[in-house]
Amino acid sequence: MKNSNKLVSFLVPVISILLAFIIGCVIMAVLGANPFVALQSLWIGAFGSLRNVGTTLARSTPLIFTGLCACFAYRCGVFNLGGEGQFLMGSIVCCYIATRSGIEGLPAILLCLIGGAVAGGLWALVAGLLKVYRGQNEMIITIMLNYVATLFMGVVYTNWLREGSVPQTESVPDATKLSRLFGLRATTAFVIAIVAGLLVYYFLFYTSKGFQLRAVGLNMTAAQFNGFAVKRYILMSFIVSGAIAGLGGSAELLGTQFRLINGFGAGYGFDGVAMALIGQLHPLATILVAIFFAALRVGSTTMQAATGVPTSVSDIIQALVIVFTVAGLAMVKLPQFKAFLVRLTDKKKKEAV
Amino acid sequence: MDEFLRMEHVSKRFGDFYANRDINLSIRKGEVHTLLGENGAGKSTLMNVLIGLYQPTEGSIYLNGKAVRIGSPAQAVKLGIGMVHQHFMLVEAMTVFENIILGDRNTKGIFIDKEARKKEILELAERYGLDVELDKPITEIAVGAQQRVEILKALYRGAELLILDEPSAALTDIEVEGLFKIMKKLTDEGKSIIFISHKMREVLRISDRITILRAGEVITTLERSQTDGQELANLMIGRELTPSHYEKVEEPGSSVIQLRGVDYHKESKHNGLNGVSLTVGRGEIVGIAGVDGNGQSQLAQVVTGVLTPDAGEVDMKGSKVAQFTPNGFILENVSHIPEDRNKMGLIGNMSVKDNIVLKSTDSPEFSSAKGYHLKKKAIRDYALKMQEKYDIRCTSIEQETRNLSGGNQQKVILARELEGHPDLLVAVHPTRGLDIGATRFVHDTMIEARDKGCGVLLISADFDEILEVSDRIVVMFEGQVMGVFSGKNPPIEEISLAMAGK
Amino acid sequence: MDWEFVSNLLLASVRMATPLIFLSLAELYSQRAGLVHIGLEGLAAIGSLIGFLVSLITGSPLLGVVAGAAVGVLVNMIYAYATINLCAEQIVYGMAINIFAPALASFIYRVYFGAGSELVQVSLMSTLASMLGITSDNFFVKLLLDQTLMVYLAYGLVFFTAIYFNKTKSGLNFKAVGEYPKAAATLGINVVGVKYAASVICGALAGIGGAYLTTCYATTYTDGNVAGRGFIALAAVIFGRWSAGGVLLACLFFGFCDALQIRLQVSSFGVPYQFFQMIPYIATVVVLAVIGMKKAGPKGVGKPYLREER
Repeated sequence: MKNSNKLVSFLVPVISILLAFIIGCVIMAVLGANPFVALQSLWIGAFGSLRNVGTTLARSTPLIFTGLCACFAYRCGVFNLGGEGQFLMGSIVCCYIATRSGIEGLPAILLCLIGGAVAGGLWALVAGLLKVYRGQNEMIITIMLNYVATLFMGVVYTNWLREGSVPQTESVPDATKLSRLFGLRATTAFVIAIVAGLLVYYFLFYTSKGFQLRAVGLNMTAAQFNGFAVKRYILMSFIVSGAIAGLGGSAELLGTQFRLINGFGAGYGFDGVAMALIGQLHPLATILVAIFFAALRVGSTTMQAATGVPTSVSDIIQALVIVFTVAGLAMVKLPQFKAFLVRLTDKKKKEAV
Repeated sequence: MDEFLRMEHVSKRFGDFYANRDINLSIRKGEVHTLLGENGAGKSTLMNVLIGLYQPTEGSIYLNGKAVRIGSPAQAVKLGIGMVHQHFMLVEAMTVFENIILGDRNTKGIFIDKEARKKEILELAERYGLDVELDKPITEIAVGAQQRVEILKALYRGAELLILDEPSAALTDIEVEGLFKIMKKLTDEGKSIIFISHKMREVLRISDRITILRAGEVITTLERSQTDGQELANLMIGRELTPSHYEKVEEPGSSVIQLRGVDYHKESKHNGLNGVSLTVGRGEIVGIAGVDGNGQSQLAQVVTGVLTPDAGEVDMKGSKVAQFTPNGFILENVSHIPEDRNKMGLIGNMSVKDNIVLKSTDSPEFSSAKGYHLKKKAIRDYALKMQEKYDIRCTSIEQETRNLSGGNQQKVILARELEGHPDLLVAVHPTRGLDIGATRFVHDTMIEARDKGCGVLLISADFDEILEVSDRIVVMFEGQVMGVFSGKNPPIEEISLAMAGK
Repeated sequence: MDWEFVSNLLLASVRMATPLIFLSLAELYSQRAGLVHIGLEGLAAIGSLIGFLVSLITGSPLLGVVAGAAVGVLVNMIYAYATINLCAEQIVYGMAINIFAPALASFIYRVYFGAGSELVQVSLMSTLASMLGITSDNFFVKLLLDQTLMVYLAYGLVFFTAIYFNKTKSGLNFKAVGEYPKAAATLGINVVGVKYAASVICGALAGIGGAYLTTCYATTYTDGNVAGRGFIALAAVIFGRWSAGGVLLACLFFGFCDALQIRLQVSSFGVPYQFFQMIPYIATVVVLAVIGMKKAGPKGVGKPYLREER
């Protein structure tokens, strides 16, 4: 039973991805492109060379952070939709430290990363406090705080930390940039993301606190009756998930973007939610989904050049994956579907006899 | 007497499980026909078939001799079948009036003609002696009144057959009398009633005929005049009823918990406590008797630290409790079998294994480095041991508890709550919804804990259960303690009166 | 502050409240049938794009609105099927719609106009006053007559909704589905039917709300032009205590906040304009914080309804 459950939770996203690609191919065909050529160039663009792999991994890095952010919060039953705002707040503080503190090099990097994580955590804590002490709906609050953070970043790059006539901040000094891995686009930020993922995984499944946090997420009332400090866990999940996103914002700034500019981090929050849901709240699966999303995005540029299919077809494919996966996961839980499976296995047994 | 309804060879299957198998049943006009059976005997399923919520897998239904298909609740209503569910189907956010006219198809027009409808309803209410206040919201009227609203709702839709599912479960004795009067009036007017109950006394009093269900099948149908309680009980359970008499303790040990004048929301009669004082000693079972919703839930939550009392004192093992938190009480070695095992007791999406160690993953037995590393093997071994000791039937200890039967879910809770040798066990409706075997197991386990020196506070709406295992019986009514009685040769009459507030 | 500032502010409030009214009513119908819908942002996005395209192609903003409504219904049927038939978690699926619908909108836009195209603009719906040929600077004339049909439709719908839920049999049955679906079913109310009806209404209103933005407010479509209104609408329903009248007041308040930020931006006081833009979002947070714990709303919201549940 346990194994078949695992199989199902693996198969649902895989089938969803296949379905999404099939629909994607139909769209490409309708647009007059050869879907096979398109898919081939998509693959080459994403994984065709070591250089492309590096680009894909670099692209996946911020997604991993926001995916982990969503994943951690939902494990505690908190629907944090504010990954984007927390990511931005992290990057803003990071940017300030990197450009204005006068420190450079490794100490600056460490300070930036810590500062970013703290900022993200505090930004999420605002929503957490409002939820725990004012009983508010955290979804609406975190979304509203996303807009506030985006606008605040606007203030930062158009006013406070603006450089020159273009609305953007100064660049992070070279010494404070994260170093590249084997000369590729991917930087140590990717390593930090993977380590964060492993830590989240270890915490959730190998520690007593993580166990209790999951219990709170699955049944708050029972957790309270069993003596867990429910409010503390909820606040903690806000802070930690926000800190992960904030760390991601810093890593993205120091590793890839180097300056804040219009559109920085846009959409990463919801992407994170999508990835966590497709990965079924498993941190390591979420990382894989993030890399898949990044591959789609990186590959679609090559695809556009080769076939003229607009890159946004990859957005459609991603969106379809989430639409199918969530529906599929609900479907396999239906009693009718379970009965259907039972009948299917019965038939096989009978045939075997 | 004419026959109103006949069911022939009706079966209802869920997957591989037959909830009803080959049911034959006939209901006459103007009779009270009782369906008698244990929990899980298939009474509710059968009734859900009758009111169109479920479709029968096989079989046919005849009304006034004509074959009918009851495809939906709407059709059942049209055919004159109405049901008063055990858990009332009343929309709490609406008024009595709105609940009665909900789903109305008999009147024309888009808008609600309040005056005309009210007049009709009041006429109907008067005819059957159903006293209701139409403009009150459902939340503001008592349980007995809510039941009258349900009956009125069915009559308003022209019900000829009324199904009453355990209608007396939540009523006081006086309210039950009122209900019986209404039932009498209904049958005098030619309506038929299907009465579902397992309270033998009531069944014998009100029924014209009795059909016994067991494990989804009809055992037999008997005329009331030709049977007695003993025969019915034997038929219902399928074997001779041998009441097990536990040895009752008369001299308890030192006090484990003592409440003195505890108030909690005392203005609320149904969800509060008003000056409650009681003591549970080591090695005794104190049973709280009373109709559901007289403050028992609040009492349970105060003595487990979930709720903080407004006034009064609570002493735990001789010292005053300063702070009420579940964790504080757990550290004081208080165990809790909560009233709703799925909502409060178990994490349904976690495994049997995880639920068994739920409270103790911080202990050095199951984790090292201050809880930062779980000893997975130790947890597994322990869970396997408990699975065997408490006879938890599951496909593996990795199975999620929400997929277990009620009895096995309760055993998981028992394994978790009793293994640490608690000083106090608070058990709330510990056998609700369980079959006889599982009930016996729970009772045996509680007695065993008692004999090891644990104080047990048992809260149950099942009076037979209270009588069965309690060493002392405390009766609660509207948040107050009405009296304390010995569990050895308890004065049943007196206790019944106290439960009704006298 | 002079009278002109105030009167312009009030007039703008009414206009800014309009899309929120459509979206909030969409949410209200959905929740009254027990379906909490956090995907309105997405529905509005696709409604906005299709409204824009159709009004561009046909030259009729009104047709654009109708098309916006239609596409809203279409996309919302995915949500309806997943949550009603497959019993998917409503919050999670609403989120899926929020990701899917804007991606679809953005894709269609790119395909239709090609990459790097210049800004395409449409003409906006004309107001009643301009249709009647009335020109006046009188505040009341402006308030009552210088509005598009959509504004009248929005306020008419609020009135209709209030009557529907409070005075009609059908409205009472509708509410029962959201409060206690099983009870409604035992009374012969078609629970699944009502939920689908609610989803059709919700999709249409959300689509209209989105289309309003490109047919009556801005002359072009841009990604993200819904700007959180789908979520503010959710807050408005909570703030308005799930009643049509309350929702109207809440929308007027949020509309006022939006109008205020635009006016303040224009007058600028040397403060970065982004701080003014934050006003509606911060107002939403503050309003929710002030209402606090009080739990209300339909009791059956968020729970799946399985007919033969065991």
